[in-house]
Amino acid sequence: MAEQSILVIGGGISGLTAALEAAEAGHDVTIVEKNPYLGGRVAQLNKYFPKLCPPVCGLEINYRRIKENAKVSFHTMSRVEAVSARGGSFEVTISKAPRYINDRCVGCDACAQACPAYRPDDFNFGMGRTKAAYLPFDQAYPMQYVIDSASCTKDCGQKCKEACKYGAVDLDMKPGTFKMDASAIVVATGWNPYDISKVDILGMGRVKNVITNMMMERLAAPNGPTGGKILRPSDGKEPKKVAFVQCAGSRDENNLPYCSYICCMASLKQTTYLKEQYPDAEIDIFYIDMRTPGRYEKFYWKVRDMEGVSFTKGKVARVEGADGDDVTVTLEDVLNGKRVKRTFDMVVLAAGMEAATNQAPVPLDIKYTAEGMIVPSSLKPGIYAVGSAKSPVDVARSVQDATGAALKSIQSALLTAGGVK
Amino acid sequence: MSERILNPDLGFVKDVINAGGESLKKCYQCATCSVVCNVSPDDSPFPRKEMVQAQWGLKEDLFRNPDIWLCHQCSDCTAYCPRGAKPGEVLNAVRKVSIAEFSAPKFLADIVNKPAALIPLLAAPLVILLVWSHLLNMGSAAAAVYGSSFIASGQFKFIDPLFGAAAVFAVVMLARGVSKYWNAMSAGLPVAGPKMELGQAIGETIRDILGHERFKKCEVTKARSTAHMLVLYSFIGLLVTTLLALTKMIPEYFALNWSTAFVEGLVSAYKIIGAVSGVILIIGILLVMSNRAKNAPKAGMGSYYDWLFISLVAGLGITGLFTELLRLANTPIAYGMYVAHLMLVFFLFAYAPYSKMAHMFYRATAMVFARMTGRM
Repeated sequence: MAEQSILVIGGGISGLTAALEAAEAGHDVTIVEKNPYLGGRVAQLNKYFPKLCPPVCGLEINYRRIKENAKVSFHTMSRVEAVSARGGSFEVTISKAPRYINDRCVGCDACAQACPAYRPDDFNFGMGRTKAAYLPFDQAYPMQYVIDSASCTKDCGQKCKEACKYGAVDLDMKPGTFKMDASAIVVATGWNPYDISKVDILGMGRVKNVITNMMMERLAAPNGPTGGKILRPSDGKEPKKVAFVQCAGSRDENNLPYCSYICCMASLKQTTYLKEQYPDAEIDIFYIDMRTPGRYEKFYWKVRDMEGVSFTKGKVARVEGADGDDVTVTLEDVLNGKRVKRTFDMVVLAAGMEAATNQAPVPLDIKYTAEGMIVPSSLKPGIYAVGSAKSPVDVARSVQDATGAALKSIQSALLTAGGVK
Repeated sequence: MSERILNPDLGFVKDVINAGGESLKKCYQCATCSVVCNVSPDDSPFPRKEMVQAQWGLKEDLFRNPDIWLCHQCSDCTAYCPRGAKPGEVLNAVRKVSIAEFSAPKFLADIVNKPAALIPLLAAPLVILLVWSHLLNMGSAAAAVYGSSFIASGQFKFIDPLFGAAAVFAVVMLARGVSKYWNAMSAGLPVAGPKMELGQAIGETIRDILGHERFKKCEVTKARSTAHMLVLYSFIGLLVTTLLALTKMIPEYFALNWSTAFVEGLVSAYKIIGAVSGVILIIGILLVMSNRAKNAPKAGMGSYYDWLFISLVAGLGITGLFTELLRLANTPIAYGMYVAHLMLVFFLFAYAPYSKMAHMFYRATAMVFARMTGRM
């Protein structure tokens, strides 16, 4: 019988956790990740709530666990194309896009420096650009550059190649597919920020200095486009009056009908970013209900009691540009029964989480809810879904869930192999 | 803030739900509606507060301010509502309940809005006429309905007293309802020291209505204001027609010259105004229907209360036009068509205090009150 391993689809915090827990219990695991790096959405965060520690530090530990564990293998820039059930196991077809940089890369940046072409910086949500030969972010794992072939045209590739003295640039790489046998499958496909420009009244993409909460994470992150100094995008001004618009697209039948769970905490956390950098900043949080479940309530109390932070019940339903690149929001102050217009330097839309499978479904026979979340009870034996593939969750819950899925997939793998010995 | 004991009227909540406000309970008070509404004032904007008042059965709160009638059911709120709570449609249901609340006698309000009562209500004027003519032994009732003898025999003269009485009844009942509404509003917000004099408020309201100034501010259903305007102007045209006709008919009555139906050439002024208004009415009401159908995926098709009114107006226009055409074709079917037309006319006007027809009077009253109290 061919060597089997547990397949984990998605190398974000859920997938990494499931993979490492199973591998450290002695099972072979293969991670398939569509990005050129592991870490998923967590890699884009500045800080975790409620402890406010930087996520890269947790990710770094996971990267080390992978490096030290021969049982874990991973494929970046890869996708699961087909899965066929065979007895108790699965035959999986995986496609791999060319990276054009092989594992001789030492991360010296010479190719990027020599590269004449640019591409939009998707890791920073389009705020800024990178060279067409780039490292997704400074602590990316694997620490290996990528060439974006769509942007690197004409002699661009050749210039990158000439600059590399390690022979790491391989322009002849071709897309390829390979097959593997999986004893169990963990679906850890995660989430995307909801495309909030679909809510036309909120001004995203139409009004300057309206940003999403994930963009705010990048603005505040030391490895972000502004080096961690929060500056508003249009003119680099220090934002001293900032509004957070809660439920931007969430709890809305026309968009995401569910509560995205993390946005209230994210806005509270981002309020602390702003107050740390600009102690005199005035922050307004406009909400329908503040939802800070369980012990997160304490974090809410902490931010609520900060000076210059105010909370107003009422959904922002109009966002317009104002003089000097400022932004005006309109809402009804529900507790006072007044419709008010307020002008800010910058407005942050607390956009919700959309299941990644909505855009890129996995080739498995899975039932989805009307909102596109995986229905766990519809999964065939040996297939498990974790974290935000099933419902909007925070990192802590994703990790708990992934650990549980690791145990289930181990049990499934043992059954496939002929029962527990 | 002063304390206040709320007295939820659960029967009222049920009434609103049954009147087409099924989505009422979905509202979670986010107030998106109050922001996207272009006709709502900044101070105590609607319809968010009306939604919670209706959910909690706070009937008095809803009926003592003009806001429910300042809403034109643009459905901008319904389009953006994140919960499918359809505030515009709920307010329409609240308005229906308020018409019933202020009208008398109550049983008529109940009956007019019951589908089962449609046929008896339509038949009522005919039955009255037939019984009446039979009692006076003025010839065969059946022949009167089906044949040209109905009009030619002179029984036609009974129609005018009957319609006249119905009109007086409707006007009295509407005036009573509207004044009760005015008193309720005044109790909620006294007009003492008005922000605007009554005369000026009435003038501005008329100007507003004629120009559909507020209705035009709707965004999602912009087309509705045009359709509504066509219907309104055609009604005004038909009113002018009726008044002109009356000026000609009344002298004949006094001359006891009943047997000769007054006949004039086709090109007389009032006939032209009538025909043009009729055509505009049909176009306008067909547009109203198509706008409703277009908006249905979001707002729903509307309730019996809406469609009774729309169908009556459409029927009125169509039977009116056909009566004229068939009469010109000189076929006896014209008389049958005319009988149908008169039944619809009777329905629309005699039952006006209880149907959606009353909306124009309550809305105009609310608009005047709102101006006097600085709400508009």
